Amino acid sequence: MSHKRLWSRRELLMAAGGGIPGLALANMLAPNQPHFPAKAKAVISIFCYGGVSHMDTFDPKPMLKQRAGETIPGKKVVPSQGNPGGLMPALWEFKKYGQSGMDVSSLFPHVAQKVDEIAFIRSMHCTSNDHGPALFQMNTGFIQAGYPSMGSWLTYGLGTENQNLPGFVVFTDPRGGPIGGAPNWGNGFMPAAYQGTPFRPTGNPIVDLRPPKDMTDARQRRWLDFVGKMNQDHIERNPFDTELSARIESYELAYRMQTSATEAVDVDIESAATKKLYGIDEQRTEYFGRQALMARRLVERGVRFVQLYSGGGNFGDSWDAHWDLKENHDQHCGETDKPIAGLMTDLKSRGLLDSTLIIWHGEFGRLPISQRMSGRDHNPYGFTVWMAGGGIKGGTCVGATDEFGLEAVEDRKSVNDLHATMLHLLGFDHTRLTYPHNGRNMRLTDVEGEVIRKIVA
Amino acid sequence: MAKGGTRGAALVAGKAEESRMYRFAAGLDQPQMPPGKKLSDADLATLRAWIDAGAELTGAPVATGSLAAAEERPITEIERKYWAFQKPVRPAAPAGNAIDHFLALKWKAKGLTPAPRASKQVLVRRAYLDLVGLPPTPDEVAAFVNDSRPDAWARLVDELLASPHYGERWARHWLDVVRYADSGGFEYDRDRNNAYRYRDYVVKALNSDKPFDRFLKEQLAGDELYPKDPEAWIATGFLRLGPENNVKNEQTRLDELDDLVVTASNGLLGITVGCARCHDHKFDAIAQKDYYRMQAVFFPLKPMERPLVDPAAEAKFKAETKAVEDLQKPLKDELKILEKPFRDKIIARRKASLPDYLRMALATPEAQRTEGQKLNVIQFEKSVENIYEDDLVRELTPGVVKARTQLVARIVEIDKTKPEMPTAMTITEPGRVAPPSHFLHRGGVGAKGTVMSPGVLSATVREDWPFPEAPADAKTSHRRAAFAEWMASPENPLVPRVWVNRMWQFHFGEGIVRTPSNFGKMGDRPTHPELLDWLATELMANNWSVKHLHRLMMNSSAYQMTSDDTDENRKIDPENKLLWRMPRRRLEGEAIRDSILALAGTLDKTVGGPAVLPYIDPALFQASSKRTWYGKAVDDPSTNRRSLYVFSKRSIPLPLLEVFDKPDTITSCARRNRSTIAPQALILMNNEFVQLQAKAFADRLTREASTMESRVERGYELAFGRSPSEREVKRAVEFISAGPTGLTDFCHALFNVNEFVYVP
Repeated sequence: MSHKRLWSRRELLMAAGGGIPGLALANMLAPNQPHFPAKAKAVISIFCYGGVSHMDTFDPKPMLKQRAGETIPGKKVVPSQGNPGGLMPALWEFKKYGQSGMDVSSLFPHVAQKVDEIAFIRSMHCTSNDHGPALFQMNTGFIQAGYPSMGSWLTYGLGTENQNLPGFVVFTDPRGGPIGGAPNWGNGFMPAAYQGTPFRPTGNPIVDLRPPKDMTDARQRRWLDFVGKMNQDHIERNPFDTELSARIESYELAYRMQTSATEAVDVDIESAATKKLYGIDEQRTEYFGRQALMARRLVERGVRFVQLYSGGGNFGDSWDAHWDLKENHDQHCGETDKPIAGLMTDLKSRGLLDSTLIIWHGEFGRLPISQRMSGRDHNPYGFTVWMAGGGIKGGTCVGATDEFGLEAVEDRKSVNDLHATMLHLLGFDHTRLTYPHNGRNMRLTDVEGEVIRKIVA
Repeated sequence: MAKGGTRGAALVAGKAEESRMYRFAAGLDQPQMPPGKKLSDADLATLRAWIDAGAELTGAPVATGSLAAAEERPITEIERKYWAFQKPVRPAAPAGNAIDHFLALKWKAKGLTPAPRASKQVLVRRAYLDLVGLPPTPDEVAAFVNDSRPDAWARLVDELLASPHYGERWARHWLDVVRYADSGGFEYDRDRNNAYRYRDYVVKALNSDKPFDRFLKEQLAGDELYPKDPEAWIATGFLRLGPENNVKNEQTRLDELDDLVVTASNGLLGITVGCARCHDHKFDAIAQKDYYRMQAVFFPLKPMERPLVDPAAEAKFKAETKAVEDLQKPLKDELKILEKPFRDKIIARRKASLPDYLRMALATPEAQRTEGQKLNVIQFEKSVENIYEDDLVRELTPGVVKARTQLVARIVEIDKTKPEMPTAMTITEPGRVAPPSHFLHRGGVGAKGTVMSPGVLSATVREDWPFPEAPADAKTSHRRAAFAEWMASPENPLVPRVWVNRMWQFHFGEGIVRTPSNFGKMGDRPTHPELLDWLATELMANNWSVKHLHRLMMNSSAYQMTSDDTDENRKIDPENKLLWRMPRRRLEGEAIRDSILALAGTLDKTVGGPAVLPYIDPALFQASSKRTWYGKAVDDPSTNRRSLYVFSKRSIPLPLLEVFDKPDTITSCARRNRSTIAPQALILMNNEFVQLQAKAFADRLTREASTMESRVERGYELAFGRSPSEREVKRAVEFISAGPTGLTDFCHALFNVNEFVYVP
């Protein structure tokens, strides 16, 4: 029943080139069926902004230790800035974990306990070694700003299950947002209903969510009723105008959202044990732990796509370890390791891990050669991304980089492939989820992309 | 070959990218083949085209050496007959304004009854919001309502077209099409502090009713066609408006050119030439070669900041800048001495905590270091003394922090005395001979075909449009001049239709072609083809006067209909495609913000000049070293300018505009989305700026009227251009009387109701 009705909504949008004035938020974001049944209903993207060193975390390269201080024979490594250094060994030890015997370094002791639920893609590559374009590509499939982001595509495709909350929520790092800013969660050429709503981790989650201090609930309710009466008079003269009624409806929704969004991110009411699980009781893990717990609460309430940024603002505050890899990755892994594992444990115990796809990624990896003092430069040629939960075959690993970790050489996977796989896990054929713009049926995966079947359960 | 050796097939028919033969030859894989001798780009393209076409050994469709032939895609006679490629012919019509005539033909055919004429109150509000983007004041409403002359309406339209604010309102529409912004986008999103001169140029062009053909020619080739006119130079800023990648290589350069070809073709020609970058257009008669011939028009472009002063003033500017820098020098030296011990401390600490591989490298005598160790040491030594300001400041003692802050403040203070030289964002070219550009097979950088000469859309011309050689003393190729002549020529079937259609859309809500940037086969057909052609020929016959078209459209009866529905008509044409009533339209975010300021009496109506930066909650942009927003205080009156003047930063949009579907400014916007979402309500309910304006509006009403009843009346008149009914007055007074904030809450409600944000 609903299948048919909701399909026509997406088709309607397509037919009209996006702007259906009469389609209210509730209609644009009504729950919608995907192309085929799927386990995953929601996505949590954990974006380690700045670029994580795969050789120091999930992609061990013993050759680097053997050949430390040498150069790669016959290979000219192109850094994003300055001249290349020599090969630099991993600064942390690796051990094998789980039934699958997956290698994880001492940077991620908690995540290491989860490897049997994780699928690693060790052969990712992207096209830009510059943060901005690489971020845009990871988020939108295109290196240029202005295209709809992953979350927009999903909310366009699936709608949201909770009309009192935005369908697509973004938490940036308290130290600052990523380079490129809002287009990273932008709706591009789609209607504004599909854009990511940035939530603040402390205080009011949405800017302008709460009325000013002197506006009591009683005063606001009275005010809304007054606005409602004036609107009612107006619409009686234009009874068929769905756009006018949609706008009336949007005020009631906004009113409810003031409470529901505040409630959704209220982690203080969670038990002490849960808070501990996420590391909220420790200073180092507190901020990311809070965001991870908020992500669970949002997904639990029907939000479709939550993106958590670790790292933001200036170089030192992101994963962009040009100077001192040791200090940088100790800090950022330390902040996120426990909360990520806690999130997986918590989701699982609530029966939500099966329906929630977790994607852990940066915008690129880091080079096997040293830079500056003891840092590593950007590496778009090869890096690791992992996925867990909703429809993922755990304890698996796809592809490989070369013996130094420089380039993906085996079973190479592009960002389009990653996006195709994500859409597949949520029930979409990425070649058929399209939106018309300037004469073309646009896709998240442009004209490329293949589902990575090996990691699909 | 197709079977391949141990490492896979050398040839995958139809898939060059997957064929080892191609990958080796193209350098995608090692080793390079043939060894020691790279194929020319042309030969590579041939190889690629051959494999992609099926790798047939006999009767191969692309023979080496016939590259040029492979690039041809003849246009058939049938394709030339496509309606949009035919020159508009003036259809038979009664003399005078024929708009109603053409609309009535369709109404009659379908049995529709046009809506009656709207009241004068509705009309005056509609006209003000449409032409100047602000609601009329009660005096302005009264002046029109009480004007009983038969031509009162035509006079009002003329009066509004003469207002300096008309150009501001309609410039916004044009700026959407050309994806105008005040910053460069991409990673750094650098501010373009002189971009506003182009924005002001557009406002002036509209206000002075610059002929539309001239308007286009100036933007495409003002430097070549009107070199003595500084305004025409500023107009070429059009060619610089796109986002700018901070990564510079052949690919990003091609992408920038693509952005320009796409904007010019979608925005001005209403045809999607961009689809032909990698292959012939799949639906329209646009050859891939058309794309590359159009690209060749723009290929020589180089950015140029053109001083808007004479050479003497420029020399003076340079000397004055140098003098200021000399003043700063001793202070900067003092700063260095002050910071040194703290820098040394950080460096020493860094040296004491190195990873093993680096400690070993440093301990090894230089002569014995391996190649990689040498590189590591170079990296280390170059960077160990490089210290970020934040890290340094953390190290300083409180006394030094103070001394340093004072020194820095003095340097900054002196910096402010540096003179500013007015410049415009313009373009130039390397010389009168254009550098060669190529056909790119499949759009690939490495798949260069033959050298392209400039050209136009071949389906619209019988013979190649002439691109004469540049004059002997020219500094540019004059390709753009010839291209602009074609664009603005009466021979061009698309340009006048596309522009009148956009005007129609802005006046009537939807275009006659409802896909205003795509007149191709995948776009909509015109609902009234004859009307479209009539308007296009009217534009050209009246010296391309934009204001003439405004008058025609607004003086039609159609424009003056009510926006009310009728059951009978709805059954026949529920979407109002045949325009039997005026559509109601929600105001854009810009017009909502401007109207709020106008009601509050706080709007600064200054026309033109540098952009302003209103307050944005820092949580929304999170300052980083590269991207920030130096917004003023939320109540700073200098930011109460019209939204046209709000600094348009690509990565940091003003939230109030963003939630109301402000275009992304990355690509040309054909038609704004109009979504209705809760965050719009939240911002108009709770935002501090909106609250402050409600308070200012309440203060204004208190000043301008003495009783509560008269304040309510004044509020209604200002907000809706009409008097309230008795019932409405009673209800409002009751609401206001309930508490001390009653009047402010009433004013705030007026900003929020549907009647305020919809054009009636």
